[in-house]
Amino acid sequence: MRTFDDLLAAHGREIFAYALRLTGDRDDADDLFQETFLAAFRAFGSVRDDNLRAWLYRIATNKATDARRRQARRVRLDDLELVAPDRDGVTTADIAAAIRALPPHERAAFVLRRVQDLSYSEVAEALSCSEDAARKRVSEATKKVKEALA
Amino acid sequence: MTLDAMLAESRERLASRAIAEGVARVAVDVMDSPLGPLWLALGPRGVLAIHYGASGYEGDLRRIVARYGPGVLRAPKRLDEVKRELDEYFAGKRTRFELSVDLSALTPFQRRILAATKRVPFGTVRSYREIATRAGMPTASRATGNALGANPIPIVVPCHRIVGSDGSLHGYAGGLDRKRWLLRLEGIPG
Repeated sequence: MRTFDDLLAAHGREIFAYALRLTGDRDDADDLFQETFLAAFRAFGSVRDDNLRAWLYRIATNKATDARRRQARRVRLDDLELVAPDRDGVTTADIAAAIRALPPHERAAFVLRRVQDLSYSEVAEALSCSEDAARKRVSEATKKVKEALA
Repeated sequence: MTLDAMLAESRERLASRAIAEGVARVAVDVMDSPLGPLWLALGPRGVLAIHYGASGYEGDLRRIVARYGPGVLRAPKRLDEVKRELDEYFAGKRTRFELSVDLSALTPFQRRILAATKRVPFGTVRSYREIATRAGMPTASRATGNALGANPIPIVVPCHRIVGSDGSLHGYAGGLDRKRWLLRLEGIPG
């Protein structure tokens, strides 16, 4: 990873998709994407290459938690070409509303694991929690999403 | 609007902001030209590189990162002025570039040779020996050829206007066909 552009080429798309799913709003996602990468660029020299992905998700998650402002213009997630495949027979279009209804810490855990396809250890690292806590959050969120879709 | 279209807009805004805030220092992009794609790099002091081709610019990138750090971002709009002047030149509507060039990552010798080369006017040629003489080193024709062969900013630093004392084209990092094309554009039969 030699330049900022390399970092964006490797992870820009998935972080942008994550920002859209977390916020459900294009302008908020744009803000979150920019804040995340500006913070990443500022810390670029001090980060090891082997955990860049989880590190970026952690920045994005923390930035989203910091700034919970909503804007009027919502993006219809089912219009988007999605990075991750559908998981567990639940389409992303179906779960978009259910995801938005989740409490923030469960929403982030659910999207990271079920949509962005991070491992539980990566989810834990991104959310600065234990792996057990990450599993619990994903499990709780999955239960709620399934109930919402039932 | 697709995810990729939104991402492209966000990346452009991110790059502008990162460069405006001084977090990133170098904008890069690729433009089309009659000589094929050109990879362009623009730093805080001027144009850093014009590379023939959309790939194979690793040597330029290494030099840029060594000079300005890893803050290199694809930022098409930041390069609009560079592209505009190049487009005008290729269309025969410009005979002189206003763009600043940044030679600060080069050796003092390379800088002197390229500075002398930059002063050679449109539509004229000079020999390697003349350039060496103008740079204050009349016996350094061969080293002059090497410095011109490694010119990171061809076209704007017009190393295509430097030919052998006998008028032969000698070499060109972008290939002799491109050198011939550029000289013809400037009214000099190859």
